[in-house]
Amino acid sequence: MRCLVIYTFALLAAFLPTANVLAQQRFPPPEFDNGYQIAATTTPTSRAIIFQYLDVVLLAACLAIALWFIYGRRSRRGVFWLSLFSLGYFGFYRKGCVCPIGSPQNIIYGLFHSTYAVPLTVVAFFALPLFVALVGGRAFCAGVCPQGALRDFFLVKPVKVPAWLEHGLGTIPFIFLGAGLAYAATGAGFIICRFDPFVPVFRLSGSLFMLSAGAVFLLTGLFVGRPYCRFLCPYGALLKLASLVSRWKVSVTPDLCIQCRLCENACPYGAMREPAANSAVPIIKLERARLGWLLVLLPGLIAGGALAGSRLSTAAAHLHPGVALAELHLLQQKSPAHYAPMTPEALSLARAERNPAAILAAAADLRRRFRFATALFGGWVGLVFGVKLIALSVRPQRSDYEQDRGACLACARCFSYCPNEAARPGVGPTGNEPVPAVTTLNARGGT
Amino acid sequence: MPWNKLGAPDQPQALLKRSLNSTGWLTGLFSVLVCATLLFLHFQAATSDPWKSPRLLALKEKLVLEPKNEALKNQIRRFDYDFRRQFGRRLAMDRSGGWFLLFGALLTTVAAKKVANFNRLLPSPGPVTAVQSAARMQARARGSVALTAGLVTFTLGLVSIAINARLPTIETDGGKTVARIQTDELGAAKPPSSVDLQANWPGFRGWNGNGVTTMTNAPLSWDGKTGRGVGWKTTILAPGHSSPVVWGGQVFVSGATAGKREVFSYDVATGRMLWRCDVAHVPGSPTQLVEVGESTGFAASTGATDGRHLYVIFANGDLAAINFDGSIAWSKALGPIRNSFGHASSLMLWNGVIVIQLDQGESSKTYSKLLALDALTGRIRWERSRPVPASWATPIVIEAAGKAQVIALGEPWVASYSLADGNEFWRANLLQSEIVPSPIFAGGFVIAASPGSKLIAVRADGAGDITKSGVVWNVSGNLPDVTSPVSRGGLIFTADSSGNLTCWEAGSGNKIWEHDLSLEVQASPVIIDDRVLVLTANGVAVQFDAGRAFKELSRSELPDKFIASPAVSNGRIFLRGETNLFCLRSEFAMAKGVLSHAGN
Repeated sequence: MRCLVIYTFALLAAFLPTANVLAQQRFPPPEFDNGYQIAATTTPTSRAIIFQYLDVVLLAACLAIALWFIYGRRSRRGVFWLSLFSLGYFGFYRKGCVCPIGSPQNIIYGLFHSTYAVPLTVVAFFALPLFVALVGGRAFCAGVCPQGALRDFFLVKPVKVPAWLEHGLGTIPFIFLGAGLAYAATGAGFIICRFDPFVPVFRLSGSLFMLSAGAVFLLTGLFVGRPYCRFLCPYGALLKLASLVSRWKVSVTPDLCIQCRLCENACPYGAMREPAANSAVPIIKLERARLGWLLVLLPGLIAGGALAGSRLSTAAAHLHPGVALAELHLLQQKSPAHYAPMTPEALSLARAERNPAAILAAAADLRRRFRFATALFGGWVGLVFGVKLIALSVRPQRSDYEQDRGACLACARCFSYCPNEAARPGVGPTGNEPVPAVTTLNARGGT
Repeated sequence: MPWNKLGAPDQPQALLKRSLNSTGWLTGLFSVLVCATLLFLHFQAATSDPWKSPRLLALKEKLVLEPKNEALKNQIRRFDYDFRRQFGRRLAMDRSGGWFLLFGALLTTVAAKKVANFNRLLPSPGPVTAVQSAARMQARARGSVALTAGLVTFTLGLVSIAINARLPTIETDGGKTVARIQTDELGAAKPPSSVDLQANWPGFRGWNGNGVTTMTNAPLSWDGKTGRGVGWKTTILAPGHSSPVVWGGQVFVSGATAGKREVFSYDVATGRMLWRCDVAHVPGSPTQLVEVGESTGFAASTGATDGRHLYVIFANGDLAAINFDGSIAWSKALGPIRNSFGHASSLMLWNGVIVIQLDQGESSKTYSKLLALDALTGRIRWERSRPVPASWATPIVIEAAGKAQVIALGEPWVASYSLADGNEFWRANLLQSEIVPSPIFAGGFVIAASPGSKLIAVRADGAGDITKSGVVWNVSGNLPDVTSPVSRGGLIFTADSSGNLTCWEAGSGNKIWEHDLSLEVQASPVIIDDRVLVLTANGVAVQFDAGRAFKELSRSELPDKFIASPAVSNGRIFLRGETNLFCLRSEFAMAKGVLSHAGN
């Protein structure tokens, strides 16, 4: 039952962004009848380039420090304070932007739109955490991501999500990533940013819907460790892939695992995996057949996904402003009374000053692009599910308790659970860990 | 927490735990209250928009009627100021509330975490089930992935179905797609044929602006007192001097006040009102009131139709295309129009292009321009500025010298522009005074009246300034200052405001005859078959032979005041009075329903 509730909630949360977003209240301009010209709207100047570079330097420094805390000092306390710094600087001071989570969209938009030059800072924010993940896993998630820090801070009483459920829900970030990239490639907008529930929290401003979504995630995060990071974050999906092949990997103990199993439930993020290697149990025919069939079916899944995805183009194109303008035009033709003269939508249509036929033609062209993009998206979805099923059909080989390299957020919580860690000279519990392993052993009299 | 005291927390620790518990509850309650307050304020602001306050709207309505009322303006400004201050306060409250909520939540979380640490259980590994457990987990995980895939597909499918896309499905690509969308969505049928145009009365002074109908069976006389020849009469619900426009079974008139602009459609056969369309919510419509002369009003311009839409323009510059069911196809604001007497130039429609003459301003500073819009979409095809002050004449389109030319009058120029791109073909400096009469094209010449002084014929095949080279003849006499000329069979007929009728020879400009009706005339005459209909302001309609000698054929009367010009279609004459719209029909046609068409 608990699993069902978590599952339902997680899926609902994953699809929250697809619901209609409540529009923010808008402030109508004053009505003057004395010829007064309303001053042109000014926009603040962009952040000075030196400060943008400072952000990059700080990001790089934080990543390096995170790696040092995780692999050098093996200090949860260090990671914790670093994450608080990141929460303050990248979160509340920089208002959550620029942020690696949305940066893949900039990159893909830049690739598909020759008129857009991706800023170097954005490239750095996209690449640095990925590079670090290739070196040492998800150090960014552990100590540098302000959103992760906020969610980590709100974790009070972690409930373990069953591993099988974790695998199912863990596919959603890849789907969200695919959708975000498809929308960015077509120029429809950056939906990963638009539907980010935490940036409104950093800014203390946003639509009621997104603020509520942020609150729901935080409240859930009291019991389910970092639900957004695990079951929705698209950048986390990329980091997960990079972490799978990272040079260094987080391990509960750097020494020999004594199989005491004290760390079995140490990870609030469900990344701890029990030993599974047993060569004595033969691989049965059914397992081989399953794997074979899945490998054969994979191209079919991709093709089927692409075909089904292309059918989504009409609905998906709805979010593109060009298509929305065309549909507004058609709606206005049908029933003009729906639109007050001063709504931004009506004004945008009026100001378009283009031939409505051209608007419709542009929308038709956009929809064609969407057909291609959604076909790719569908194929990607098929690939994600196919590969995941194949991965789950291969018998895992683990002799010790160890972290799932993709799922591990490198938060360093599990270190203190290992008796070997406490025995290491100069490392030991630092006093702020919730359950120091040695004390536990002493209290229980040994296990 | 010191873990050597796990078994039974001592007194200070129990106290600490209780304190943390209480702190957590208190800060949690505080956060809930702040959140509830913020939500309440949000929904209150969303549901009670101060700018929709009935009191403010009432004041604004009142201001439309009393535009000079300074006290009223100040009251509105006070309201507006108060609302903005309220809005600013609410924004500040939102921001402060956000910080309160955040800190409350943080404190609650810190307290809860500390309390949770007190209650944390020690690790307690269960029995070993390694391989079997992993296999079972993988099997379940595969099920979970499959279920997720199903749910994702289902949800995306549902969203796809739920989104109501209005854009039609596109099956092909390239230009063909565009063409089909235009056809499907915009009803882009072929422009109406000249037969259709001539069978109806699609704009000011008929299909080509010359005031001539090819119909032959319109009534010769009627009697407003006995009702003889009057098919029906209906009250028009809004004031205006625009002339009727007829297409198929509908006759259209526009009417407007300072604050409301409307179009009415009546059944040609019965006079029953089919619909009235409120031309409101025009994007970018000027908010300031338009100044108009009493004799012009807010709806002096006559609309035009191509059988698909009726196009109308009002004194404030609001232009709309109205479907034949009364809904608005598109609308556009071209105003404000700086015309002290009020805009009165009517729309000219030719081959899917609406030509609008927006002459405005003074001789010292003009803002005049000529526009061509795509009738189907409202897109501006071209726009040309004109060095003329405000005028009230309607442009015409002629096919001459192998070119489609727009002829527009404005002091002092008779000018020709290309219908295709707005480039000027030729111009002639010939006009004086305030230009109200519209030009006609007769005998191969453009005929223009300089109000009260001259009637001029200009060749339509010139280039550049043809003031000296292009004038064929230029004559003086009793010439119209408001009404436009009409022509038939090499003759031109004019009527001035005092009722002086004059017949001119189109080829030479020679005066053929003159006749004084001694009646005020504001409406332009029209030619029906071989007779001229002149409608006087007091309702007397005189029809005379369109020949080389004046011969009055009939004199009829209607009880109304008439400024708008007659419309003639399918055996009926439509006259718009100050308060009524009349449909006049011959006794024979009323009895038999027989219509005839010249040339058939």
